[in-house]
Amino acid sequence: MKKALEIALGIVTSVGGFLEIGSITTAAQGGASFRFQLIWAILLGGLCLIFLVEQSGRLAAVSRHTITDAIRERFGFNYFIFLLIILSLVILLVLGAEIGGVCVALEFITGVGFQWWAVPVALLIWLIIWKGTFSFIEDGASILGLVTVCFLVAAIVLHPPWKEVAHGALPTLPASDKAHYWFIVVSILGASISPYLMFFYSSGAVEDKWDESYINANRAISVLGMSFGTVLSVAVLIVSALVYLPRGIQVEHYSQLPLMLIDAFGYWGFILFAASLGIACLGATLEITLEIAYMVAQGFGWNWSENQRPREEARFSLVYTVIIILGALLVVVGIDPLKLTIFSMALTAATLPVAIVPFLFLMNDEAYMHEHRNGFLSNAVVIFIIGMTFVLAVVTIPLEIFGGG
Amino acid sequence: MQKQEVNLELLVGRRVFGLNGKSIGHLEEIQAELIKGECLVTEYLVGAYAVVERLAALSIGRAILKLFGATKKHDGYRVPWDKLDLTDPERPRLLCSVDELKTLAGE
Amino acid sequence: MELIRDCLDKQLIDRNGRKMGKADGLVMLIEEGKRPRVAFIEVGGVTQARRLHTRLAKLVASLSKRFKVDESDPYRIPWSKVVVSGIDVTVNVDAEETPALAWEKWLRKNVIGKIPGA
Repeated sequence: MKKALEIALGIVTSVGGFLEIGSITTAAQGGASFRFQLIWAILLGGLCLIFLVEQSGRLAAVSRHTITDAIRERFGFNYFIFLLIILSLVILLVLGAEIGGVCVALEFITGVGFQWWAVPVALLIWLIIWKGTFSFIEDGASILGLVTVCFLVAAIVLHPPWKEVAHGALPTLPASDKAHYWFIVVSILGASISPYLMFFYSSGAVEDKWDESYINANRAISVLGMSFGTVLSVAVLIVSALVYLPRGIQVEHYSQLPLMLIDAFGYWGFILFAASLGIACLGATLEITLEIAYMVAQGFGWNWSENQRPREEARFSLVYTVIIILGALLVVVGIDPLKLTIFSMALTAATLPVAIVPFLFLMNDEAYMHEHRNGFLSNAVVIFIIGMTFVLAVVTIPLEIFGGG
Repeated sequence: MQKQEVNLELLVGRRVFGLNGKSIGHLEEIQAELIKGECLVTEYLVGAYAVVERLAALSIGRAILKLFGATKKHDGYRVPWDKLDLTDPERPRLLCSVDELKTLAGE
Repeated sequence: MELIRDCLDKQLIDRNGRKMGKADGLVMLIEEGKRPRVAFIEVGGVTQARRLHTRLAKLVASLSKRFKVDESDPYRIPWSKVVVSGIDVTVNVDAEETPALAWEKWLRKNVIGKIPGA
């Protein structure tokens, strides 16, 4: 019975915590430019994420080690440093984008420019992590994040032509604007398959003290949670297609975002959008900050746990404090949150191989996985993802130049 | 009796040189056994790979490398503890001929 | 036992079950006529830095001296206290009593401990 409750909570937190500025923005641009044609990209990203997250959870449950632990332990200190530098740089950009998202939501509601919110938001994030425990942060943010279900409600209320929507689930080539199309595909995939998601999921599983008995719970949570979350992303795309495309708006500035829900909900749509964006991004900032700090602590072999008091793990506390300052800096200096988001999502896609290639080896390592090593399907999917991310890595820069906003 | 300290983490990945001065591969792994509470080195595994020496050390690693056609003619050699000269840890040298060594059979 | 695969970089757990870093280095002693033996596990920033570059190691060592953190020599755990089990390495010491947590304690005292709510 307790396990069933944990599974339910896990699914709820996965759904509530799924959307963030990357998935919202890329889905919005996708819908605004290409109607329902890009739904397949969101579905593909979601499917890959399901497999990766399930495996991350399985690794943590069986070995009681996180992905970062295992990468250092199996591939050595030098590779860990290499991974840390590359992932940290990219994830820091994503953090900047998410903090920007919270600030932009506050700007929508108050009219005060987003840059002014950077410091108070950073302070809020820091306080939550300083004082909160892992469960409080993870569950709290995600349950509040359920407000994002409003996108699904909006999609239904707007009565989209469902047959056309269904057609969008299959890949089609665009009639024109090919570079822009593929650029959005790359951004959508980068927004869906963020490495920090897998890493955080395994850190969370260890924080929650999962063991081998959680293997089925893990499967349920990852499959159902990520699936429902993906549905929310698709909902954002559908709403954007119905709201922006007829008006010829291509979502090139963040001020265009809150218009999204007005057709469905009137004035409340504006409030709902701001609340959804703010809460979703706040949840993401907490996860990202914690995950970078986790990566540092786990890789160097420090004591780490969000459930301990800060003085018990001084180095861990110092690291996340610095991370928050750096992330906030990106917003304070006034980098456009929308541009930062799209850029960091594309870059994320490019750096995936660095994390996923070692991951493939780990999932087949008997010392870590015992009899729960990857089967043929899981391995095949990971190899496919590696191939796909190598292609993404190669085409990202040219597409950024030719197809970007 | 001279005692020499060698840090194994700095040894891993280094090229190992044969009697003729040519490289025979990279030091991949060090096998040891526990005898009366002491950890005694048995042999050094010198492989044909470089950067991926830790990947290759896993059998799945070799399998995947084979899949991508990245394997070389032989996998490497087993060098008994008394056949490797570590007076210069940055240039480990064989103390015997390569032909005397057992090879690493594909696992 | 394969030393690189089973011992190096593995998580160290002290006698109280507390994590105390990873095995950053392995010190092998070679004596003439005798079989080489692994005498110590090394833990610490200097050992880690040296794996990247010797100059980096010197920097870490001098920083440690300057701030009097006392990590100038890497901390060594004698093999007699080591048990390799599965994917972890258990060491029969108490993490708090070793220099392994030198930076942690220094930060606790001088930085983090001074912030309210710690």
